[in-house]
Amino acid sequence: MLAAQPYWNPILETLPHEKLQNLQLEKFKRIFKWTYDRSKFHKNLYDSSGIKPEDIRSFEDIKHVPKVEKAMMRDIQRKDPFPYGDALCVPLEEVTVFRQTSGTTGQPVYQPDTWQDWEWWAECWSYILWAQGYRPQDRVFIPFGYNIFVAFWAGHYAAEKMGCEVVPGGVLDTKARILKIQELEATAMMGTPTYILSMAEAAKNMNIDPAEMTISKITCAGECGASIPTTKKRMEDAWGAKVYDHAGATEIGAWSYECQEQPGGMHVNEALFLVEIEDINTGEIINEPGRRGKMIITALDRQAQPCVRFDSKDVIEWDKRTCSCGRTFRLIKGGVVGRADDITKVKGVLLAPAAIEEVVRGIDGLGDEYEVVVDKAGDADRIKLKVELVPGAEGQAQMIESRLKDQLRLKTNLAYQLEFHDYGSLPRYEVKAKRFKDLRK
Amino acid sequence: MPQEENMEAQINTERINAKIGLMKQTAEELKEMGENFPALERNTIRILASIKMLEINISDVIDLKVMNS
Repeated sequence: MLAAQPYWNPILETLPHEKLQNLQLEKFKRIFKWTYDRSKFHKNLYDSSGIKPEDIRSFEDIKHVPKVEKAMMRDIQRKDPFPYGDALCVPLEEVTVFRQTSGTTGQPVYQPDTWQDWEWWAECWSYILWAQGYRPQDRVFIPFGYNIFVAFWAGHYAAEKMGCEVVPGGVLDTKARILKIQELEATAMMGTPTYILSMAEAAKNMNIDPAEMTISKITCAGECGASIPTTKKRMEDAWGAKVYDHAGATEIGAWSYECQEQPGGMHVNEALFLVEIEDINTGEIINEPGRRGKMIITALDRQAQPCVRFDSKDVIEWDKRTCSCGRTFRLIKGGVVGRADDITKVKGVLLAPAAIEEVVRGIDGLGDEYEVVVDKAGDADRIKLKVELVPGAEGQAQMIESRLKDQLRLKTNLAYQLEFHDYGSLPRYEVKAKRFKDLRK
Repeated sequence: MPQEENMEAQINTERINAKIGLMKQTAEELKEMGENFPALERNTIRILASIKMLEINISDVIDLKVMNS
């Protein structure tokens, strides 16, 4: 009977939206006061803007609370209480786990969590996995190098909490992981889109068809890919499984997830997080669907190092549709569509790298891997795209090249220098891929 | 019938919340008794963290007066 329940929390996930907003406001007041009273860093920040906990009475008041950026966290860390510095809100001896950000955008930020925070992480992930159809009878394989990055640690703990059987695929190499999935008949797994595609390729090289294996659902994280329709389709076709996206970050928590309806977007967990979308140019808060902006997010229950109005730089937009799954948590259309600091101007045109991936993965005959290099030839920008033809597609090279040029022009409004490389020669990645190289910086 | 009425009809949140409150009170008393008893204190801290998840999932909706607002 429990397995038939579609919601991890049938109260919160179906709460009428106006009541959800009341809950968010009350919880924001609570976490703001907690943070103000305990973090010297936050208190100084708020005092300098003249805002105190009693000033928060409405959503309008929340807009005036100063945002926190990752760079600010870097400045205060590596100092006492070592190594977290002045944003730590609990005695150091209550910290039970250390994580750090991946450092993709600069020096890593340290993240302390108490045991309660860690329970909360697993709780966030329980909403995700239950919505994606994970149930106690599932055997979940986690092909992840368990380390200082949070990545799938919380997915592991959540799956355990839900009663799934978890197989940690830690230090095994890709071949050993594939064989273990086959041997144990695992039913679900988690990974970055890059690695899920790379595992499928490795399986085929071992003469194992991943679609014939027992994996029926895959949860992705770490990259936008699972929300890019062409990349999702490649993964689903390769594994014969449903692929679901989720979004989270070390300093935030797991805040968003795709449900089994795959509505072309992700639900924001509005019971545990307050998501605001800010116009990148004007700073105005966007409430209406259809306008993109960057996400400002508050984790409403995280305590050791709170996340209050954190400027995530993730680019999102509200979806006007409600989801047929019955959840009242709002959808963000197309998931996280990029990062404010990834969107760059090339030849005067705004370019989001995800648009290139959508084109490459949508053309039959091209491999999954690609690389984009932007540099300068004199004063002019130059953009190069490296791709691979899959074995057997050599005879169609001209047609593929022509289609690739047309689609890139259509989707990104740019002309590219194309390079075709031998299949298997472009770099392969296990976690987050670095396929976009801007050499102008 | 709106979702909210469905859920209220099926789940007695007030009763669940009262039971969560009793568990928390018991766990806090045990924690105090564990001052010189690591196995008691540390396990109770873990129980309190789990109880907090019940509060986030259920009690907050009642205690923050969300349903009546």
